[in-house]
Amino acid sequence: MPVYDRGYTHWEPSGNRAWPAWWVIAKRGIAEPIKRRWLLVLLLFGFIPAIVKGGIIYFKLKAGDIVDLLGGGWSSIEPEGFLTFIEGQRFFVFVFLAIVGAGLIATDRRDNGLSLYFSRPLDLNSYIGGKALVVIFYYCLITLLPAYVLCLFSYVIAPEATGLDLLLLTPLRVTAYCLLTGGSLSLVLLAMSSLGTRSIFVMVWWTIMVSGTETVGAIAEGLGKGSFQAVNFLGNYHNAGSLLFGGSPRLDLNPWISLLIVVGWTVAAIMVLRSRIRPVEVVS
Amino acid sequence: MEGSAIKVNRSKTGRDFTLTVANLTFAYLKDPVLKGVDFTLEKGAVGLLGPNGSGKTTLLRCLLGQVPLKSGQVKVMGYDMAAQARLARSGLGWMPERGGIIPGMSGVGLVAYLGELSGMPARDAMQRAHEVLHYVGLADERYRKCDDYSQGMKQRLKLAQSLVHDPEWLFLDEPTSGLDPRGRISILELIRDLAWNKDMGVILSTHLLADVEAVCKEILVLRNGELLSRQVIDSKVREPRQVFEVEGFGDEEGFLAGLKEMGAEVVADGRLHLVTLDLARLTGESATEVAEQGFDTAAGVNAILGVATANDYALRRLRRRPVSLADEFYRMVEA
Repeated sequence: MPVYDRGYTHWEPSGNRAWPAWWVIAKRGIAEPIKRRWLLVLLLFGFIPAIVKGGIIYFKLKAGDIVDLLGGGWSSIEPEGFLTFIEGQRFFVFVFLAIVGAGLIATDRRDNGLSLYFSRPLDLNSYIGGKALVVIFYYCLITLLPAYVLCLFSYVIAPEATGLDLLLLTPLRVTAYCLLTGGSLSLVLLAMSSLGTRSIFVMVWWTIMVSGTETVGAIAEGLGKGSFQAVNFLGNYHNAGSLLFGGSPRLDLNPWISLLIVVGWTVAAIMVLRSRIRPVEVVS
Repeated sequence: MEGSAIKVNRSKTGRDFTLTVANLTFAYLKDPVLKGVDFTLEKGAVGLLGPNGSGKTTLLRCLLGQVPLKSGQVKVMGYDMAAQARLARSGLGWMPERGGIIPGMSGVGLVAYLGELSGMPARDAMQRAHEVLHYVGLADERYRKCDDYSQGMKQRLKLAQSLVHDPEWLFLDEPTSGLDPRGRISILELIRDLAWNKDMGVILSTHLLADVEAVCKEILVLRNGELLSRQVIDSKVREPRQVFEVEGFGDEEGFLAGLKEMGAEVVADGRLHLVTLDLARLTGESATEVAEQGFDTAAGVNAILGVATANDYALRRLRRRPVSLADEFYRMVEA
């Protein structure tokens, strides 16, 4: 019988597999920004540093130490060089995460969407998990993915010079760093998103958080007050990353203190999310 | 985070579809919004009536398990909503008054997305989305972005999303809000069809009495968070109190005194007298018995005729005035 003749019919499950709610939320959140062409163009720009680094690595491996003088840390295929690469991606991290993540919860709050979500059989963890995955995905897309490609590229062009470390240990370090950093950044960004109902305000706060604190950190460094660099929000992630990748700290600050600060931000973000995400808005 | 999707139990046999609220008290902040609410509902169409701020939406949110329940108990289809709300929600549909639309999505995309969130496989959800959008009359508009929908289309879309997973109970919060008369009638027809022909439990929260009369068989009246009354909507068995229009000539004083002696309330309305009789008092039965058996208008007519004959009062008019749901509602909430 054609659909339009049947009126309302009860649902007969097909027996196909149903996906968990967090995956359904993540899938939609990831697919949504891809529909915007300008974002894809921006994504291509985000890959330019990786292409440049790939070129430098190629010439270093083929032309020797002279490229070190030109490329500095960028030519390094040691683990620390990959941290430098990820650190260099911070502008794209800042822009992409702001575009993708600022409205994830704010829009739901503005449109009373939370009530709709929580009328379905999903819990708070699934909701937050699904939204966080969206941010982590885009973070990894501009950090983890090019880093993997660079590892593979370096190994392919000069396997004897790079060794298996570049195929095993470095990718593991990069994966661990990107997932932990991406997870923490996603929670902080979602917490900011849950505090407002308009994406634009969340973007403003995110700009202050990333660029504002970096500027303050740079001024503090210029004034020789190293401990003030603790305010540098993204800087703390990179500084803590030096514990994983080795090499010198990125800030004039003990990396363990940076790690503590990062953990503090993450815990605070979780607390904010748990208190702010409710199906019912209570106006006191 | 849950590891797998909710398993939806579609079996209708041996399942408990009862909805029980026991001594429910709830407060968002300090002042309680619901105070000791008690009722049990079997499947059917139930109207939730009450003035603004009486706690209707909050009660629906308690039934959905969207708010933390601290005092009292809410059980939906055998699930305790304080601890097992997630399980119960796979069988509940919710049409909120405000919002209920995720901007940027097409109609069919939104309904399928919410179907998947309800635990449906992606393919089933998409197929059901098409079906329910056909059912609510949005077949031609399903690929349009829902931001561009008119108010009437948004209401239909909200109804469609609440139906996509084929719930056992449907909670509708002001479903006809902002609709023109034609749109209102068509939404009410859909709701009536679901409740009366498709074996779906419906709770219709509204302050529009005509909507409730058009769809529901029973009403719950809330006032200031308290359950004021629970009634079956049927003019025959609604209330033991009945109003008669009386007009005549003769010994009017004696006639009116006789009526008052019988326990009737008499109010002048122009040339008419409006005589309110309490059948329970007249027949000596309890109000519950009267409500169960139904009201026999003849008993009231005979009683008035008897008083008129005894007082030589010739009746020119004796007619029962139908009591609308609105009359009863306002009488109850203003009492």
